[in-house]
Amino acid sequence: MNTARARNCARCLGAALLLLGPVATAAPPTDLRSEAPIYGGGLEMILSWTPPPDDLIGYMLLRGPTASGPWKAIEPIASDAIRHKARVVSDPRREAVPETVFFRLVALRADSPIPALVPGEASDAAAAESEARYVDSLLATGDVSAPVESRTRAYLVNLTPSRVMLALIIIAAGVLIGVFTRAARRGAELYIRRIPGIDAIEEGIGRATEMGRPVLYVPGIGELQEMQTIAAMLILGQVSKKVAEYQADMIVSCCIPIVREVADEVVKAGFYQAGYPDAYKPANTRFISSDQFAFTAGTNGIVLREKPATNLYLGMFFAESLILAETGFLNKSIQIAGTAEATQLPFFVTACDYTLIGEELYAVSAYLSRDPRLVSSLKSSDYIKVFCVVMLIIGTVAASLGNPLISTLFRIAE
Amino acid sequence: MFDFLVRFQAMDRRWIFLGMAIAIVLPLLFPFKMPFRVDERVQALFDEVDRLPAGSRVLVSADFDPGSRPEIEPFYRANLHHLFRKDVKIVVLTLWESAPPLVQPILEEIAGIYGKTYGEDYVFLGYKAGREVAIKSIGADIPKTFPTDSRGTPVERIPVMRGIQKAADFALIVNVSSGNPGTKEYVMQIQGQYNLKLASSTTAVSGPDYIPFYKAGQLFGLAAGMPGSAQYEKLTFPDGKVPGGGKLMATASMDVLNLGHLYIMALILFGNLAYFITRRRD
Amino acid sequence: MKRTLPLIITFFVGIVMVGEFFIPHYGYRMLTDEFLQWGLVLAAAAYLLGIVNLIQVNIPKITQRKPDWFYKLIMLLSLAITLAIGFIGGQDRQVEGAAYRWVYSSVFTPLSATMFSLLAFYIASAAFRAFRARNLDAGLLLGAAMLVMLARVPIGENLPYIGEGLGHLMNWIMDVPNTAARRSIFIGGALGAIATGLRVILGLERSHLGD
Repeated sequence: MNTARARNCARCLGAALLLLGPVATAAPPTDLRSEAPIYGGGLEMILSWTPPPDDLIGYMLLRGPTASGPWKAIEPIASDAIRHKARVVSDPRREAVPETVFFRLVALRADSPIPALVPGEASDAAAAESEARYVDSLLATGDVSAPVESRTRAYLVNLTPSRVMLALIIIAAGVLIGVFTRAARRGAELYIRRIPGIDAIEEGIGRATEMGRPVLYVPGIGELQEMQTIAAMLILGQVSKKVAEYQADMIVSCCIPIVREVADEVVKAGFYQAGYPDAYKPANTRFISSDQFAFTAGTNGIVLREKPATNLYLGMFFAESLILAETGFLNKSIQIAGTAEATQLPFFVTACDYTLIGEELYAVSAYLSRDPRLVSSLKSSDYIKVFCVVMLIIGTVAASLGNPLISTLFRIAE
Repeated sequence: MFDFLVRFQAMDRRWIFLGMAIAIVLPLLFPFKMPFRVDERVQALFDEVDRLPAGSRVLVSADFDPGSRPEIEPFYRANLHHLFRKDVKIVVLTLWESAPPLVQPILEEIAGIYGKTYGEDYVFLGYKAGREVAIKSIGADIPKTFPTDSRGTPVERIPVMRGIQKAADFALIVNVSSGNPGTKEYVMQIQGQYNLKLASSTTAVSGPDYIPFYKAGQLFGLAAGMPGSAQYEKLTFPDGKVPGGGKLMATASMDVLNLGHLYIMALILFGNLAYFITRRRD
Repeated sequence: MKRTLPLIITFFVGIVMVGEFFIPHYGYRMLTDEFLQWGLVLAAAAYLLGIVNLIQVNIPKITQRKPDWFYKLIMLLSLAITLAIGFIGGQDRQVEGAAYRWVYSSVFTPLSATMFSLLAFYIASAAFRAFRARNLDAGLLLGAAMLVMLARVPIGENLPYIGEGLGHLMNWIMDVPNTAARRSIFIGGALGAIATGLRVILGLERSHLGD
């Protein structure tokens, strides 16, 4: 008997049983299998199964420590799925990760039981009791697969091609930085092209000194962990040194509290290093508001009231970019902006005197300091970029010819 | 004439502002309701949501504030209508501190229209600080990132959260976002790593930035700005009627976009014309 | 030690977080998860520091009656009132009729929306001032911008004869040249970010520590 005929017979039998009376039509998923994937880290199993022939609204996955239970309903699965990533424990911090675990899959139909909501104030015992009642009612339907034994396996290292590629790129970047740093220390000249926007920063500070007005530094609205904010802090270190040397004033306007704390330390260190620790004013490094537009209004207030001669917008910017830059334009400040947010570049280009585009933002601190270690890292990233461009071209040609090798090497999805 | 053209190029910007105000207010007072087409990216978003089987679970990361409300809220509303209508379970969270008082009442209102039960059909997990770190944490462990919902109920006791450990456990993730943290951060931090099915509704300014993600398959759909929201409204409510008696806010605002765009184009055009005439005379 | 310890912490945490890509073992993931949670706690705790800074900077200006002291007083009062009604409202602060909800919808929402709306006006004035076809490049940019602006709105879509073609042309501009340019900026930016990250992790970049 072939499978289709077998399914038809099962359907006929089910229909006949329905006509006979209120007997459940048990048609569970079959052939449930499990395997441990590399990226699962010992916590995840890949389950696959053959779905029952009739229409379902989904599945409920049960997990238990032995083939006979006790079972716990862990998650619903969409009706069209035939494969699923399942966890072997809910929280590895609270439960030990077992070597073996068992799964069962329940087919859910329109009339399947539904779990009850357990209110937050109910006791743990009440929640466990409600959960057990739900699982019992699921098992009673008969729409449940046979248990599958899953042996967990925690791989220590992921050596899939894409990860090896990633590791090689990181190692290559490290090696290149080392090579260029040695070359620079031996006196080799490492060329960096002239970036007018960065040259203008020093001119801007000089202008502020001549006019007796402050420099305004806005490190964007990104959190501290954003790379653009980190770059903004690194640049602030160099800028504050120059400001101190010129004996000018600088106001730093921050949107994120922790960014202000770091900016304060950076400015303090810059003034100290320049030999003017007394000129440092903590009240000039200000937290305005963590709300985007309240911050914008506050910073515009600084521009209009304290009339800075030079405005530096370096970091992560969004809708506030044009509002800030237009207010600065109205104030006739020299404005230098830099961001890797492509959406905001047109606004800055329109309203500012100089704009640092994308990666130029990350080059500023190396450019200003000319420290051989930093310049060498710029060089190494240029070589990595050349490598990426070559791989992009080869990958595009290969993918167009139907060869997925290069794209596989760069696919990091788990 | 020459003097006028020179003065026109350097006119006080308050005249420009006045013109813009008129271009915005006029169509609000006298709407002319022009028909519009649906973009391929919005259609793809709608189709994927429409294919969801009943009972699937969708994560909606509602990351917008009152500033971007006119552009994005209509999408958020239409999307919730669409999901509830299809009996999909919805988990809403936000990474913007100013969003909860905005997004939670809308969720409750639309759930009420479809008679949905809190905890069983939908849940609001509330706000989490940390931006990109929070997104990374959502990719790795949701119960640890949001141990309770916004009402203080532990997530393990909420049926709709049963078995949800991480972002990949959702059938789809819809990011309704007007900036950072938003779609770009979701794509960079977790979409690639966990191969998530992610869609985005975003502001018109951010839209072009996310088109590369759509073209690369990292987003399955994209509704950008007010036109994106209006197109989603058109697909969700083909007869123009919103259950519960609401209005199609984005559709109604398309006239403003029409006149606003025309006004800016006219400014640029006449500005350039004046520039060329006066340059030749110089 | 004040300089060395942050360098050691940065190196250790940076290497551990990068290692997550290569070490899938659950024990290792638990460690990286823990770091992420610390990051979340630090970010939340920093808001307290922000409030302290606001008070430290503004109180002296109010007491010494410096210019605009009155606005600073309003700001601090708004901060105190919003905090107080948020605490008093507790879990129910967002229900209909609650004071916090009223402050949000009647004060915060219109103020925030007003700031964002300024963009429409500023875009118009900035576009008028700066968008000139001064050379061929600027002319091409201007032409593309006009096309996209027109095709993005129904009035362009509904133009007789050319409406449909305009839509296709706009989609081509957005999908091909726009995507190519953005990808190059994005990839360049990402590589720059990786290089900066490596510099910080390896301790080459120390200007944020005052070196």
